[in-house]
Parts: sequence; structure tokens; C-alpha cells
Amino acid sequence: MYLKGEFREKEAAARAILDLKTQGFGPDALDVFSNEPVEFASGVLDRPSRMSLVVVASALTFCLLTILFVRFTQYNYPLVTGGMPLFSFWSTGVVFYELAMLGAILSSFIWFLWESGLIRRKTPAPIPNVEPGIICLRVYCIGEQEEIVSRQLAEAGAVEVARL
Amino acid sequence: MDDVRRDLWRPLQGTSWRYFAVLLPLSLVTLWGLIAWGYQLDRGIGVANIRRPVFWAFYLVDFVFWIGISHAGTLISAILRLTEAEWRKPVTRAAEAITVFALMIGGMFPIIHLGRAWIFYWLVPYPNSRLLWPNFRSPLMWDLCAISTYLIGSTIFLFLPLIPDVAQLARHATGWRRWVYRKLALGWTGSDREWHALERAMKLMAGIILAVAVSVHTVVAWDFSMAIAPMWHSTIFGPYFVVGAIFSGIAALILAMAVIRRTLHLEQYLTPHHFNNLAKLLLLMSLLWVYFTIAENLTVWYGNEPKEMMVFGARTRGTFAPYFWTMVVCNFFIPFVLLGIRKLRSIQTAIISSVAVLIGMWLERFIIIVPTLSRPRLAAAWGSYSPSWVEVSITVATFATMVVLYLMFAKLFPIISIWEFKPHDRVPER
Repeated sequence: MYLKGEFREKEAAARAILDLKTQGFGPDALDVFSNEPVEFASGVLDRPSRMSLVVVASALTFCLLTILFVRFTQYNYPLVTGGMPLFSFWSTGVVFYELAMLGAILSSFIWFLWESGLIRRKTPAPIPNVEPGIICLRVYCIGEQEEIVSRQLAEAGAVEVARL
Repeated sequence: MDDVRRDLWRPLQGTSWRYFAVLLPLSLVTLWGLIAWGYQLDRGIGVANIRRPVFWAFYLVDFVFWIGISHAGTLISAILRLTEAEWRKPVTRAAEAITVFALMIGGMFPIIHLGRAWIFYWLVPYPNSRLLWPNFRSPLMWDLCAISTYLIGSTIFLFLPLIPDVAQLARHATGWRRWVYRKLALGWTGSDREWHALERAMKLMAGIILAVAVSVHTVVAWDFSMAIAPMWHSTIFGPYFVVGAIFSGIAALILAMAVIRRTLHLEQYLTPHHFNNLAKLLLLMSLLWVYFTIAENLTVWYGNEPKEMMVFGARTRGTFAPYFWTMVVCNFFIPFVLLGIRKLRSIQTAIISSVAVLIGMWLERFIIIVPTLSRPRLAAAWGSYSPSWVEVSITVATFATMVVLYLMFAKLFPIISIWEFKPHDRVPER
């Protein structure tokens, strides 16, 4: 079951999240919805990310694959180079750099889609309809927790608490 | 719906006759450009006055110019995002859109210049029937990789912050617009996971795109400086081109902002404060540009190498001198006087300076490309160049195309990022 609490102030929403966390609700059970980004203080509702790591790894992978590909093409159809090496790292360095950057760009976009949940929604959890300026906290709970959650949300300053 | 949303969505809802009055003639100019290109495809590249020794002329000037303009957006937007400059908020999307459209236009010119545009795909590395691969050592292949990467990156950089806005628009729009917005919103719900991921992606993309933008114009500069031609074989061409690109990019951004401010009635959001800040940036870039120009020309003049002096003389005292000195006036004297004197600095003077800078920067590309080619090392091979009607038509059409694309974008999407403009701190009582 999902409950929602609507807040007008982000401090109140933060208070509700901290209170619920003390009751044993983890970040996976809590979602905040708003029309604009809401920045909570560190430790309120942190979402760890591996995006930077993925981007660097993708850039390196693209770079390596490009080096291998370019090397293959230069030997597959050898041009007359007048005794110069067929594969020249420096004169093709720009290609490696640009393709590494392409890898970083594509991976940051794909990882954004993944991490935001836009391409991996399995369970169709209900999405609250949020008015402009309102911060909506959605809580996943089981039957007997409904009363506790409702009370915590109201005590923290929710202007409306309802089932979703 | 609050005031900000109402104001920023207003341009998307109705279309006045003025909009069509601007769009229609410009679309006709675009069409004329396409006809000119069609004529060139039919008759061959000979209808352009590109011939020995001037093989690169208007098309390459336009290519470098538009790639330079593309630095308006993504680069400026990325710098402002990374430095968290608050005043950037109404400016970034307008800037990012310039990048995408300018790159699309700029990227067309190497294809137009090919003549036989239908064999463009030969540049793409794929295992073809003749077992040929493109030469990755060629700066033209570097261009292909750099521009493709920049175009993909810039499009994503424009698209990412557009998602929350189109998601909101999807809720209120009707008809085909609703369908388009819903598809583009990718199912955005406004959850904190999405906001966090968007914020991280934008920060990373800003850093990456900065590195790509600098490399793109450096690679464009290397198209010239890797050739051992008089006044091209220069070590400072990379940074010189990057500075010039940012310079012309800021000018294009100021002009675009002035147009949308007036036509979409966004005076409340694009304030004199924004123009003042951009005008200061333009002035700074003007000073940097003149520094590089002096550094480049002074070393050539002092070195007094005969072959280089032939080109230098043609630029500063000979056939091309009127263009050279017009460039100096447009790129330095006009912005320096109008923007350097505080009392004179206003939206109007920023617009005048921007127009001057765009003219000056186009001339700068012309001055770099044509004199060197028309004065090769062997004096017997000297030649001259004047553009044909086909080249002029295609060049003029690209300017019209840019405005058409921009106006259409501004009619489909909010030109100011709504969610960025409204930081969620405290909201009024309902």
C-alpha cells in the first residue's frame, strides 16, 4: 500500500523523512515528488550513484575499442605511407579522444535513464498528481504500518495525508 | 498554474500573424538556398567558383563560422552551470538550442563542399565492397568524429533539462502536442530519484561537453594548421579558433535573446541584467580575440619570411585589406567603445556590438582561408576568388534557416527552462 503526504515546505518534508527513517523505513520505501528539484540536506534522503564511475569506464572502453578498430582498419587496407608506421597513435589520437568522449556522453545519458528509473519500472507504483509548489512524499508500507505513517506525516507538517 | 508557468507557456499557445510574417519570407530564403544547392548537385561543383588555387572558399568559411556559433550554447551553458551562476537560468536553453541548430547547419557544409554529396557515406568507416577504410590520419576524419560527437552531446545536453518541462506540458497540452510531449517526457514523474539522476547527469555532461567543445574547434583549427601553408601553420591556431568561436557564440546568443525577448514578450525574464552580463563576457572575449590576432600577425610580420609576408601583405595592405580592417573594427573597436564605456552599455548597444561581431567573425574566417589559398608558395600559381550566386545563396539561406529553426523551436518548447527558473524553496499558502 502507498500513502502520500503533501507538504508546502521542504523542511517539513525533510522532518517527515527523518522520522520515518527512525521508524525503520528505508530510502527504497520513500519517494519525493515535485515539479521542481528539492534539495534536502545531506543525510535526509541520499541516493547513492555510480554514474561517474560508469561514465569514466565507458569513456575508457570506447577509447580502447576505437584504438583496436583503427589499428585493424589501417592493417586491413594498408595505405602507402612511405616507410612510416601504418598505425600511428599520435595522428589518430583525436579520433580516440572524440570517441572516448562519445562513450562518456552516451553512457551518462543511458545511466541517467537507468538510475532515474525511467527505463526499468517493473512495478507500476501509483504516481501522485503534484500541484506546482507542493512536495509530495510517497511511502510504501504494509497494512499495520498505515496508522504510524499517517501520524508521522501529519506530525511533521503534512497538509494532506491520503492513500494512493 | 502560477505566473511564471503562464508567462513562459504563453508563447507556445497562440501564434500571431507577426510570427508568420517573419517565418514565411525566411522559409522562402531557405527554399531558395535548397534550390541553389539542388542546382549545384545537378550541374556539379563547378557552378561554385571554387577552383585552383582557391579550393576552400565560402563553404569552408561558413563551416568554420557556424561551428563557431555553435559554441554559444553548450560551452557557455556548461561554464555557467558548472560555476552555478544564478543569472544563467533564463539563458541556458536559448543558448543550447543555438548550438544544436548551428551544428546541424555547420555540419552540412563539408557535405555541400563535397559536390557529390550522395557519396558522403564514404567517410563512414564500414566494411564496404572494395574493402576500403577511411584514412583516420586525415584531419577531415577528425572533423567527422569531433562534430558528430559534439552534435550528439549537444542534443542530449539540450534534451535532458527539457524532460521535466515537457512532462508538465504533457499534462496541459491537447492534440498532437500532447502526444509529442508525452513521448519526449519518457514517463517523467518528478520523483527525487529522477531529479537526482538529472542533476548528476547534467553536471557530468557539462564537464564532458566543455572538453568536447574545446576539442571541436581546435580540430577545426587543425584542418588549417596541419597544412604547411603560409599563415596557416601556426601553433596558436587551436586556442585562437576556440576564442573566436566563443566570441561569435556569445554574440549570437545576445542576438537570439534579444529576438525572443521582443517577439515572445519575455522582457520580465530576459532582463537588462542578463544582457549586461553577456555584454561584459563579449567585451572580455573581444579583448582576448585582439590579443590572439596581434600575437598571430606580429610574429609573422617580425619573422619577415617572404612566403608568409606575401599573404600578410595581401591581408593587410592588398586585395583583402578592406575585409581585414573591417574585421578589426567590427571585432574590436565597436564592442570596445560600446560595451567598454559603462554609460553606453545597454541592450541596444549589446545588439549592435553582436551584429558587428558576427560580421567581423565571418570576415575573419574569410581572411584566414582565402588569402592563404590565393597566394600559394609558387607565385605562378597565384589566383583570385569571387563567390558565385550559388555560394552566396546557400550562405544567405543558412542564416535564414537558423532563424526559422530557432523560431519553430521556440513555438514548440519553452525557450526558458521553467523548472530551473523556479527553485523550490518555499511556496505560498493555498
